[in-house]
Parts: sequence; C-alpha cells; structure tokens
Amino acid sequence: MKFRFILRRLLVTVPMVLVVITLTWALIRLAPGNFYASERKLPPAIEKNIRAKYGLDRPWYVQYGHVMRNILSLDFGNSLKYENETVNDILRRTLPVSAAVGTCAYLLALLVGTVLGTVAALKQNSKLDYGAMGVSMLGISVPNFVLGPILVLVFSLSLYWLPPARWDGFPSWSMVLPVLTLSAIYMAYIARLTRAGMLEVLRSDYIRTARAKGLTERQVVLRHALRGGLLPVVSFTGPALALLITGTVVVERIYALPGLGTYFINANLNRDEPLILGIVAFTSVLVLVFNLLVDIAYGFIDPRIRY
Amino acid sequence: MTESKTARLLTLALSAALLLAACGPPVQKSDYFGKVEPPPGQTLRYITGSEPESLDPQMSSGQPEARLDIALYEGLVEYHPKTMEPIPGVAESWKVNSNASEFVFFLRKNARFSNGDPITARDFVYTFRRGLDPALASRVAFLAWEIKNAEAYNTGGSFVRDPKTGRFVLASEAAESGGAAGQAAGPVSGEDAAPDTEFHRRMHEPDRLFVPTDEKEREKALKADPKLAALVEGKELVPATAEDVGVEAVDDYTFRITLRQPAPYFMGLVAHQFFRVVHQPTVEKYGVNWTKPGNIVSSGTHMLAEHKPYNQLVVVKNPYYWDADKVRLDKIVFYPLDDQTTMMNLYKAGEVDATYNHTVPASWLRAGVRYARDYMDAPENGSVYWQVNTTAPPLDDKRVRKAFALAIDRQALEEFRVVSKANNVFVPTGILHGYPSPKGYDFDVEGAKKLLADAGYKDGAGKFDPKKFPANSIEVIYNTSESNRQVAEFVQAQWKQNLGLTIPLRAIEWKTFVQTRAKLEYKGFAGGAGWSGDYMDPYTYLGLFATEGGDNGTGWFQTKFVDMLNAANREPDQAKRYEQLSKAEAYLLDECPVIPLSKPATSWMKKPYVKGMYPNPATLHAWKFVYIEHDPAKWDQSMPDMTNDQIAEAKE
Repeated sequence: MKFRFILRRLLVTVPMVLVVITLTWALIRLAPGNFYASERKLPPAIEKNIRAKYGLDRPWYVQYGHVMRNILSLDFGNSLKYENETVNDILRRTLPVSAAVGTCAYLLALLVGTVLGTVAALKQNSKLDYGAMGVSMLGISVPNFVLGPILVLVFSLSLYWLPPARWDGFPSWSMVLPVLTLSAIYMAYIARLTRAGMLEVLRSDYIRTARAKGLTERQVVLRHALRGGLLPVVSFTGPALALLITGTVVVERIYALPGLGTYFINANLNRDEPLILGIVAFTSVLVLVFNLLVDIAYGFIDPRIRY
Repeated sequence: MTESKTARLLTLALSAALLLAACGPPVQKSDYFGKVEPPPGQTLRYITGSEPESLDPQMSSGQPEARLDIALYEGLVEYHPKTMEPIPGVAESWKVNSNASEFVFFLRKNARFSNGDPITARDFVYTFRRGLDPALASRVAFLAWEIKNAEAYNTGGSFVRDPKTGRFVLASEAAESGGAAGQAAGPVSGEDAAPDTEFHRRMHEPDRLFVPTDEKEREKALKADPKLAALVEGKELVPATAEDVGVEAVDDYTFRITLRQPAPYFMGLVAHQFFRVVHQPTVEKYGVNWTKPGNIVSSGTHMLAEHKPYNQLVVVKNPYYWDADKVRLDKIVFYPLDDQTTMMNLYKAGEVDATYNHTVPASWLRAGVRYARDYMDAPENGSVYWQVNTTAPPLDDKRVRKAFALAIDRQALEEFRVVSKANNVFVPTGILHGYPSPKGYDFDVEGAKKLLADAGYKDGAGKFDPKKFPANSIEVIYNTSESNRQVAEFVQAQWKQNLGLTIPLRAIEWKTFVQTRAKLEYKGFAGGAGWSGDYMDPYTYLGLFATEGGDNGTGWFQTKFVDMLNAANREPDQAKRYEQLSKAEAYLLDECPVIPLSKPATSWMKKPYVKGMYPNPATLHAWKFVYIEHDPAKWDQSMPDMTNDQIAEAKE
C-alpha cells in the first residue's frame, strides 16, 4: 500500500516539474531585457553575432524543444553569463554551502524551538511561558534583513569577534552569524507550533491514561506527549527544510555567501536562462520530495494515519 | 511581568541597541574608517565588484573583469596608475605616423607567458583576430572596428568584386550616395616606422565596400538602398577573413596596426583588456574552458592560483613576467562582491584593504565617511548631462537653452549629491592632462534672465517675465532611478527659484526612455543621461555629436562641428589637437544641445598602508605598482596627490 502511494506521488512529480519549468521559461521570455544587454546600446551587428552564437535567432519552439531535451537528460547546459561553467557544476558547488548553512540553522531552530515550546506548554501562563513566547514573537516579527545587520554591528564591527561576511568553508566561524540570522524565524515558529501542539496533546485522554498508569512526568512528556505534539512541526519541516537547503536569498546576500540563493537572484538579474531553469527545476524537485517525505514520516509518527 | 510588558522591554532594548550602533562616534576628519592593520607580507585583499562573467580578456566587457584582467594579462601598453595614459607594456616603445592612422609597436624581447613561452608579435596578431572573430561573439569587439577591415570581418561582411576586372568596389563609391556601410576616408601613408610589406601596401589601398554575407540581411540592405544594389549587381562576393584585418607581425618583435582612418585617440584604447595578449595553444586546446585554474596560461604580472566563484579569486606573482623584480604584491585576493553595505562592513572590520569605485553608500558619506582620510574622492572619466530636444520650440532657440543651463547652481548640486562633482562643461574637467577646457556655464541668474528676455519672454519694461514663457509645453523626462529623481527634483527647484519656471518631471522606464530620446519624441529635456568615457580623450565625449543618430538624442547636428572635430583629429601635434577640440567644445557649449551638470566622483576606500594605488579616472589599477607599506610613518595621510605623475615607490 505504502509503496504504491510513494510511486504514485513520484510519478506526479515529473509532470509537475515540467509544468513549473515551462512556466518559468515563458516568464523569462516575457521579461524585458536579455543576458547580454548592458547600459550602453550594442551595435546591431555585434548583437547579431551573440544571438547566432546562442541560438537565440531560431524560432521559439525550437529553443523550447532544446530546453526540454536538456532537462529530460538532466543536463542543463552552460550558463550564459559564466560561459565556461555548466549549470550542473554550479549546482554541485553551491548546494553544499546553502545546505550546510540551512541544515545547521534548521537543527539549531529545531533544538531551541522544541525546548522553548515544550517548556512553555508545560508551564503554561507562567513567566517562563510569556518569556519564551515573547522571544519567539520577536523572532517572527524581526525580519532577517534587520536581524543580520544588527548581529554584524554587534559581533563584527563593535566586538570584532566574528567576520562580518564571506564564506570560509564548513565548519568555520564565518557560519555563525548566517546560521543565527537564518534560524531565528524558524526557531520562533517551531517554538510556537510545539507549544500549541503540546497544549492540545497534554489535555488528551491518552496522556491522562499514561499518567494514570503511574508513569513519571518525564516519561509522559518525552515518550507520549512529544510524539503527538511535534506533528505540526513535522509538517512544517518539509517545505521549510527544502527552502533552507536551496538557499535564502537575503541571508546569502547580507553575508555574501556563494550559495544557491546568491546564484538564483543573480541568474534572474542576468536573465541567465539555463541557470534559472536549472535552479528552479532543482528547487521544485526538492520541495516535492520533502513534502513526500513528510507524508511518509506522518505514517510512522501518527498511528491514526493509514495510506 | 505581563506579556506586553516583556515585549515592550525587549523592543526597548532592541531599539537602544540599534540606536547605539547607528550613532557610534562620527567619523572625524583626522580618522581612518575602521580598523587599520596591514595584512602580513605583500598580500592585497581587494573587492572588485560582481563575479567576473569571464576571465577571457576578449570576452569580458565590465570594470570588475578589467581589474582582474590587468593582473592576469598584459597588453602592448599598460595604464599609467594616475593619469591612465599608455605606458610601455609588452611594447617597450611605439611610433605613430603623422596622421595617427598607423601604429608600430616594438616589443621587448624578454616578455613571456606564465608558462615561459616568449610573447611575440604573432601572439598579438592572433589575439586581435580572435577578438574580432564573429563566432567568438565578443560584446566589445566594436572597440577594434577602427582597424582596417575589422568591422567587415567582425560583422560577417563580404567585399564586392567585379568578376571581370578583379577590382573591388570601394566604400567611397557607395558613400557618395550617402548610404551604405564603410568609411570613405582611406588612411594616408605616412613615414614608415617599419619595413614596407605586401600586406602593408594592401592595407593602404582605399577602403573596400562590404555588404552582409548573410543572404537575407544582404537583400534587406540592398532593398533599402537602390544605389548600393546597383553597385553590387552582377558582382561576386568575397567574405572578409581574419587575414584581411589590419594587424601585422612585421617580424617577431614588431607589430603594426593600420586603421581605416586617422584616429589619434586609438592609442588610449590599446590598454583595454580586449587588446591584452592571450596564449594561442592554450585557447585552442581547452576552448571555452581555457581560463579555468589548471588550464590557463596568462601574460600579466600575476597568474591565477584559485577561483571559487562568488567567493574569491586568488592570483599570485608570475615569475616569468618581464618586470617581475618590480612587482611587489606576492598575492592579490579578489572578493567578488557588489552589495555596498556588506563590502563596507568588510572594509571597516579590516578584512579587505581596498574597494572599487562607487562603493560607499551616499548615506554613509553624509554620516561623515566622506571626511575619512582613506576616502578616495576624485573626479571620474564621465559626464552627467541633460539632453535638450533642439527641434521643437521654445527650446529650438539657443538663447533659451543657454538660459536654462546658466540658471543651475552646480556647486549646490555637488553638495547635495555627495557622490558627484560639479561640472559646467561637457568634457569632464581635471582628468585629461593638457586638455584646456573652454569656459563653461557659470551660475548666472541675471544672465539667464537677460537671455530669456532677449528671446522675447519679457514684460513691457523689457524685463524677463516668467508668465510669458510656456513652461507647461515642455517637460523633463528621466529614466526611473532614485538618483535621477533626486537630480531632476533638484534642477526643477533651481529653475523654479531662479527663473520662476516650473518644468514638469516625468519618470520613464529605461527601455522606453532610450527609444523616446532616440526618436526625439520628448519635448524639453531628457535627464538621467550620462556618458562614461571609453578612453582618455575628449573625443570620447565630443564624438557623440559627430553623428545624427546613435547616442546623440538632441536633434542637434551640424557639419560645421563635425568638420571642426575632423580637422582636430588630423592634427598630429597633441597640444594643438587638444586646443582645436577645446574650440569645438566651446562651439558645442554655445549651441547648447546639452546641459552639463556634474561628473561622477570615484568614491571608494583604501587603507593608508596600500601604496601605489590611486583614485584615477577609471579606477583601473596597474597592479605592478601597488604594494603594502608596513611602516606606519610612510602611510598615506589623505587621498594621494593626483596633480603630478609621480608613482609611490617602496624603498628597500
């Protein structure tokens, strides 16, 4: 049963990605400008040379066919802007950077968030609860383009503890500020989701049963309550993790990280079609796969769900 | 404590932290900005702008690439670090013929590529031809179009030959009809600096006519020009090839360039990366991947050691460089970054030693950074001006145009903008050594009013009367951008205060703006235009008005002005030529098709221990002169003196 479900979902993924790519391709075509345009007008003959070299002078359906053939063979071709780099090379190089920062940020958020949320739920309406929820409210309301510069001001420009930007590899001190900046909002969300989930579960019958059986409070919380209380966090994790791994444009820009997000924004500004399509295809596959994983995980965590 | 109280407290703490950070001690005139601690040894950490699109010198067009290319490749000549004038590179000397249509370069015999191979004149022939190859599709190939037959080859053109007589149709024959591509003026042979050859004689034949090789395009061109069609009728087409381009290796160490017409400014172009020499075997072996680390063989002061895109690019000293003893920097680390705040943070934290131009945000400058001793605030090779549609009333009267030009306080604009400097003439002042700028538009409200009164906008007493002027029939259009808006509003306010005229403003999206301007569909003024010089010569600006189309955009075109420019360009003596160009500029200013406003400031930062690096007009640095000074006593106390040609030198 479960196998057929997974297979069906995987089969749906392929056409969905193709639709996303087609739409993206059409949008790039509709957007004004092109990859070779600059402020100054190029002599028409030079423009003609460029268009011939990249096949832009052929009819649109030929170009579209070319794009689709490339994508189905999982080879996105060379970037237009960075001529001697293939899109696949760029993905291979940038993904680890974004994934390292994103995963660390998510793990940190998960750790701090669940602890804060659980504590807040257990001590509902106490100072601890208000404190934790106040902090998480702040995390949600302060956008990362505000938080990032503040952290830089304090830790880099005043205390000179941490580098204000740039990537020195994994692991390195240069990761600290981006990870903190990125995790804040997820930390806050997770704390609030955990608290709400836990509050609901703690009032349910099976917890009362567990307590009645004479289990210690620790066993009740860790073994029984958390499993149910974390369900909202799990469904949040799928898309969140996919987005974190594929890079976040703002944080990567503030800290000048050579990640997928940086490339994505620049590829758009440069109208670098193969690169845009490659990143979009990759990101959409990742989002779909992570959602699938979440659904599967549900089956394991929540005994009420059957496929 | 209630939840709201906690939140209020937190908000308070946060705003306090922000305030504290924002209002740190202001930068004083005596201060440097941020940490001043030189890195160990001779390593420079430099921010050069966005990730380079290519390390192939013939392919890249931007400034970020140009700065990298200067480290990696050397051309016939190099830029002087202060004046940008050509100084010897691979060529140890050169000769220009009397009408500046032929350039002979004498190459040094000890110049080598980074793998030890000697650099000869043949390498330059290869490099020039490669850049012009239509299949390479270089965006900047037009820089070389002044070279004989280069345009025909680069644009995929064919010469037209009579099959019976074997004679080529000349460009002059088509030019008489006023249409067709090609230039009429053939080079005049001057005294020969290098031996005459058959190729050389061929280069001195009159320019041939060329038409598109591509059939569809040719048909289009012929249809549009019946005279041209008649010339081509019954003739055979001979495609232009690389061998037709006017570059020649006379011998291993003599390289000759023949132009299609005199162009004294061509020397100023030769240091451009497009003309920097590349290693033929490497390019041919690796194709598009030849610039990757491990593959690349280069010719400059430094060679590529590491390239992590969007992260860092490291070059190290090239031991084979002919002047390696003089090269001080063992290593340059380039950071590809273009976010202003991020790079200023890195600079302040002492993680980088210098940045590229226009990197300091205006708000930081106003907050005091412009007084920092390490702020590089020099004029740039650019001009910001408004174009005037001279074809429609009331601005078809040059007195009216001049009145508007006189009624702007450019000093106040400089003070307001911070990132640009006042400029009251068309060619930016103070950057072209030896060019005598004509008298510009001083701020003269009375003079402006008098001109307007003379033009008929006066009351009974003969005084200027703003009510008589049809201010609403004209407007200022500018392409949408924050800085353009600021300038437009400033000038609008000036005209209102000084002349009592309110000219409406209208922002237009860039691509539409360009069209509206080119087709003269605007009434009044087109703002937001600027021109950054392609080379260090007044002609890069004045030449804009040598054609009716192109980037002219004013409808003002006079053969008298074009004749003045051509006469100047035929003048072999540079000082006299500059004088003549200055007279042409004076004429242009008197006709007033443009209202000059300002010139950009370089606006970048450099730690005081970085020496031999100057705020030159294009922010291109010959890295061989740059070094790290570890003795604080010799550090720069302020922006280096730019009034002389002296280059700082480290004493051992």
